Amino acid sequence: MSVPLSQMWAVASYVIRQRLAGRTRYPLVLMLEPLFRCNLACAGCGKIQYPAQILKKHLTVEQCLGAVDECGAPVVSIPGGEPLMYPEIGRLVSELVARKKYVYLCTNALLLKERLTAGVFEPSKYLSFSIHMDGLRAEHDEAVCREGVYDEAVEAIREALRRGFRVTTNTTLFDGANPLRTREFFDAMMDLGVEGMMISPGYSYAKAPDQEHFLRRQRANELFSRILADPKRRWKFNQSPLFLQFLMGTRDFECTPWGNPTYNIFGWQRPCYLLQEGYAATFKELLETTRWERYGKKSGNEKCRDCMVHCGYEPTAVNHTFASWRGFRDTVTATVTGRL
Amino acid sequence: MSDTESLEGWVPAIGHGVTLEEVVERAFDYRGNVTVVKADGTRLEGYVFNRNRDVAVPFVQVFDRAGAGPLDIPYADIRTILFTGKDTAAGNSYAAWLRAKEASQQRLGTPLPPGA
Ligand code: SF4
Ligand code: SF4
Repeated sequence: MSVPLSQMWAVASYVIRQRLAGRTRYPLVLMLEPLFRCNLACAGCGKIQYPAQILKKHLTVEQCLGAVDECGAPVVSIPGGEPLMYPEIGRLVSELVARKKYVYLCTNALLLKERLTAGVFEPSKYLSFSIHMDGLRAEHDEAVCREGVYDEAVEAIREALRRGFRVTTNTTLFDGANPLRTREFFDAMMDLGVEGMMISPGYSYAKAPDQEHFLRRQRANELFSRILADPKRRWKFNQSPLFLQFLMGTRDFECTPWGNPTYNIFGWQRPCYLLQEGYAATFKELLETTRWERYGKKSGNEKCRDCMVHCGYEPTAVNHTFASWRGFRDTVTATVTGRL
Repeated sequence: MSDTESLEGWVPAIGHGVTLEEVVERAFDYRGNVTVVKADGTRLEGYVFNRNRDVAVPFVQVFDRAGAGPLDIPYADIRTILFTGKDTAAGNSYAAWLRAKEASQQRLGTPLPPGA
């Protein structure tokens, strides 16, 4: 594990405060999408398929900060679209840092070097660039439908590290990924010197009989077991080891859709980052009026049956850590020994 | 609907095998502009990004063609919705993409030269 102690403590004390206050539903990471515009057009990306007037729109910094204050999560992830295309990204990040929020700026890194050279950001323990990397050069360039993106991202990572910024990577892995190549990719990222990596299976949704759902989950567990088997000590993951164990199938969790709420130009998205089943005007309305029982594996909702994505299950893993001594002990053991 | 079928160009006539609620749901899922024809005959072209039926006065929310909004329109004020704008998701469904992606990762599963 590579999450800095101060960040762990901020999250731990927040969760403990929520539990002591008797809250059962509370957010951990706000997914803040200031815009849907992007400078790539990856096939299958559901974020960029909108009419022109929607792609031109973006939230104001004040709207973003209003959402951050309203929801109160200790961590803010800024995906997109491409957040480096947001005209006020520098001001937004510095306001979040001033509020002591841990910020993950999720970027394809094409504009990162230019923005760093322009002095848009200051290094801070609160700011981490989370670079979208879907594998080694061949896999990544194929995933983003453009050659040369992997090399540009690597160059940007080097530049950000040289300037003293925290840098992590985020990787989506699909059925059919090659475990050996993925392990080589982990080595390559650690060689670059990133602080840690985040991995998640891609979202999959298919109308299928129960048996097929079971097999899809089983295949995902096998894939992650092969990728993470005997993990190298030098691999650092910027996420809960319990979530990684869940991916490997050695632990079962239920989804916590309110754990990573999403806010964008349409409002608070129901019920999660992946599904768009409507919008609430306020965070309170989202929490109070979403029919949460309709989501997650147990609900039987076809759209949730195969989902093992981090935005639904990582909050469960984090909550589990603080829900019992056993969860806490398991997290500490995996963190200290590096074994999964 | 299949992965590839698009509603682009659909001119639903409410009451003829389709209800207003169904048309609103389709408009909400549609990744393109639509034209909302109101009961008084006026038209509003834009993107339907939300709808809420679980309230006393059910409504849809729209950003118009110029991006202004959100504009709230009660269901009761809607005669029909025409699927007039380009479907930006047409032929690009998530399910279709996922199948292609999994096939390509399997292809990349064969050994590549070092450094590739
Ligand atoms: S970089 Fe991200 S937001 Fe942009 S097209 Fe690719 S997946 Fe979508
Ligand atoms: S299981 Fe996945 S798709 Fe369903 S609510 Fe949770 S995160 Fe969303």
